[in-house]
Amino acid sequence: MSLKLNRRTLLRGAFGATAIGVALPALEVFLSEHGNAYADGSGFPVRFGWWFFGNGVHMDNWMPAGNGPTWELSPQLAPLAPVKEDITVVSGLKVYCENSVPHGSGPAGVLTGAPLGKAGENFASSALGAATIDQVVANAIGNDTRFRSLEIGVEDSHHSLSYVADGTSNTPETSPKALFERLFGMGFVAPGDEPIIDPKWALRRSVLDAVSEDATQLKKRLGYADKLRIDRHFDNIRALEKQIAKLEDDPPNLAACAKANAPLDAYPPDNDVPQMSAKHRAMADMMAMSLACDQTRVFSVMFSTPVNNVRYPGTSAGHHKLTHDELGEQPEVHGIVVQIIEELSYFLQAMKNVEEGDGTLLDHSAVLAFSDCSFGKSHAIDNYPLLVAGAADGALKKGVHYKSPAAENASKLGFTLLRAMGLPVTEFGAAEGLVTEGLSDIET
Amino acid sequence: MRRFPKLAPLSLFSAAAVFIAACSGDAPPPQPTDTSPIPVSAAADVALKRLTRAQYTKAIQDVLGQAIAVPISLEPDDEVDGFFSVGSSEAGISALGVERYESAAYVVAEQAMVAGDTRDAIMPCKPNGIVDEGCAENFVGIVGRRLFRRPLDTDEVKRYATVANTSAQTLGDFHEGLGFALAGMLQSPHFLFRVELGSPNNAKQMPYGDYEMATRLAFFLWNTTPDDELLDAAERGELMAEEGLRIQVDRLLASERARAGVRNFFLERFNLYELDALVKDAELFTSMSADLGPDAREETLRTVEDLVFDRQADYRTLFTSGHTIINRRLAALYGVPAPALEGFGKTEFSASSPRAGLLGQLSVLALHAHSVSTSATLRGLFIRSTLLCQTVPAPPANVNTTLPEPSNAMPTLRDRIGEHLKSPSCAACHQLLDPIGLGLERFDGIGKFREQESGFDIDPSGDLDDVPFADARELGSLVAAHPDTVRCLVRHLYRYATSHYETAGEDSLLKELMARFEQDGFRIKPLLRHIALSEGFRFGSEAPTEAPEKEAN
Repeated sequence: MSLKLNRRTLLRGAFGATAIGVALPALEVFLSEHGNAYADGSGFPVRFGWWFFGNGVHMDNWMPAGNGPTWELSPQLAPLAPVKEDITVVSGLKVYCENSVPHGSGPAGVLTGAPLGKAGENFASSALGAATIDQVVANAIGNDTRFRSLEIGVEDSHHSLSYVADGTSNTPETSPKALFERLFGMGFVAPGDEPIIDPKWALRRSVLDAVSEDATQLKKRLGYADKLRIDRHFDNIRALEKQIAKLEDDPPNLAACAKANAPLDAYPPDNDVPQMSAKHRAMADMMAMSLACDQTRVFSVMFSTPVNNVRYPGTSAGHHKLTHDELGEQPEVHGIVVQIIEELSYFLQAMKNVEEGDGTLLDHSAVLAFSDCSFGKSHAIDNYPLLVAGAADGALKKGVHYKSPAAENASKLGFTLLRAMGLPVTEFGAAEGLVTEGLSDIET
Repeated sequence: MRRFPKLAPLSLFSAAAVFIAACSGDAPPPQPTDTSPIPVSAAADVALKRLTRAQYTKAIQDVLGQAIAVPISLEPDDEVDGFFSVGSSEAGISALGVERYESAAYVVAEQAMVAGDTRDAIMPCKPNGIVDEGCAENFVGIVGRRLFRRPLDTDEVKRYATVANTSAQTLGDFHEGLGFALAGMLQSPHFLFRVELGSPNNAKQMPYGDYEMATRLAFFLWNTTPDDELLDAAERGELMAEEGLRIQVDRLLASERARAGVRNFFLERFNLYELDALVKDAELFTSMSADLGPDAREETLRTVEDLVFDRQADYRTLFTSGHTIINRRLAALYGVPAPALEGFGKTEFSASSPRAGLLGQLSVLALHAHSVSTSATLRGLFIRSTLLCQTVPAPPANVNTTLPEPSNAMPTLRDRIGEHLKSPSCAACHQLLDPIGLGLERFDGIGKFREQESGFDIDPSGDLDDVPFADARELGSLVAAHPDTVRCLVRHLYRYATSHYETAGEDSLLKELMARFEQDGFRIKPLLRHIALSEGFRFGSEAPTEAPEKEAN
């Protein structure tokens, strides 16, 4: 296989005349002796992400009793007991943009504050019309990490709600094995270890240089729409070059960073019932560790997709079908929502279990959890089920239930989250979703 | 949103036309009467097309060797109303996509460059040392022409040859170094995208160039990259001229590979790729197995292959034909004798069989149904939108779509689905769908024949646009005779060929294609030829260079 070289050896010039150019990492930040902040006085990085599940909830079983700091978990929120003090439940908000596409207009309203960019016949043929908040945040804080943002999916579906721009979505990784290879495979270095430099990395970068030159030349001949497509290809090639270059850097000195446990090779369905829980937990552990290692600061999790018909253990049909066909109080749907919230709880606990200085990874993050509608059966998008976990390093309150007094615009939450991440926004959203203020009651 | 212009209002059609099938069956195909290229009044805008996953895989194997195992983890295909070919005009490459294409490129390059038959077949020279600039340039020029589907300019050759030389120097191995150049070309937008931009001529048209035509023809008719003969014809400047184009279109259509092209068209048109993930309740449907979906797809694809190439029959007989091509597993489910011990074979249905034509095939019946039950609505929608190209509005967002549970008062779906028709807002659309889909109710959610539901006889009668039918076979005959059935095929095939929704400027071209299709006895092979020779396929229009004005929401 390849010749492995120690970085320092390489710098001594072992390669003589054919030495490969190795960019010395700019080690501007070192952790202070106490390990609770970087030596230059800056705190831990603040991370942002969202965790999505399809098909809505049952409002009667979702809505917590109580308001403000005094509230009780509802039946569907009960699995969040271990993180109750780390979350803020936001209820009563409404997506004001037209509910033109079931399961599509809701997420567009939450993530872009705007109507869908393309309203097709169903969710799959529709598209969001602007960059989603995760990508707006990534534009601001994603440029120093190995990955600008990470998108994962637990259900086997390439549909994502993370959009870099109008109509342009990020493909999520849905294979735990591939995710592990990507994050912790070849080239991963734990803190304190020295990177072992593979000379092929530099060659791969020179290959990408050649490819991006092709893109640059091609762009000159294209119309507007094609130019955008090639621009994006070009940007993503450049991002990959940077990812490879980052492998040669010393890892950030973050005490909690370690190689995640390798997942199983596959999580095959058991009699048509996919192993959503086992697969999610493997991916959640990797994601938490990737954040702890500062490989990325922005993420999104598509636990399941809008309109998904995933089968869950102990149910008689697929999720979406049950939301429409199950009679009465929908006990089977309720059971599915509880299973999903158990997974959300696992994810948040995985983040909470990472100690960072005096706090935890979750303290240094803001995680939005939401679905594509409130009541799955009717596709309603008022009284929207929303939840924020983590304090964004003190910018957000936690452990409260914020119950909107007057069906406030759901875009206000996006506004608040962007502000909490340090973005100096003055407005968020478009059309009926446009807002110029956030939810001050959940801000500190 | 891009949507094709509304079809002419439906005219009632004569039930007498139902019997067309009998006279066209296996009779010798009539000679085409008019083969002149069909003009276009305004060609559609040019657009890059990203290779679909199937095209990416096939192109690599065709260029570098059939033995190459191409990774399957690639950027997913975009579909627009089921068609990947149309989605390819919009598809981009995400950050993860770039990573996946990179890692696939090295997996492919390593296989191509390891000593052995594959490498011997693609190497045009023997290297003279670890670094051999001449040999590297030679390779990049020859293999690059096949990957980019056009000759590389001198800068491009130099760019990738330099990568090869530097890499060989670093790694101490000529072929390993060359693998990096190959991996680069495999990641280039010139490989991943079909760059067909056309250039203006004196007549103020924008014909696609010779190499662009080679690419268009190969992907349309073969669903893969051009072969050397096609690229050579382009190099000789033959493909922009009518005669040279005709020769190559006929060659491509006569090739066995045209079968793969037609199969892919129907795969996309009928969304047959979804059969890989067919979910059916195993307790209710004991015949369900993981192989059933792929088997059902193969039945449909073999049926169209037989129709288009072996019998060269009237397209409309797809809905009436009394035979199919199945294997043992499907035969057991259909309750007919297995045609062969192994693999697929032709089976004739008896005259009294409830099953005939496409609407009796498991692919259609199982795909357009729920996991635990049938769906008259979904089956009706398939016939309306996929077979007849009629637009049915999507259900409104805020509706309760629950049907009552089966009960003694409402034992069959026909009884329960009546609920749709009670509410005026539901009835407007469901009236268009349910009465058609109910014609297929004697096939259960997986396509097995049954006469009863919950112990009550199923009534499979209904009407299609006011023409009554008694059962599924008659429904098939009505679909065959429906004037929109053939128009829809023409539209879809043209849309597939050109990777865009047909525009107003192509209306007259489509009308003429339709007239020719009729003259040719509704045979698909001549239609493929008419499309490939038409100006709509040969000409583009310059795409706008400025952002379009945002439509108000």
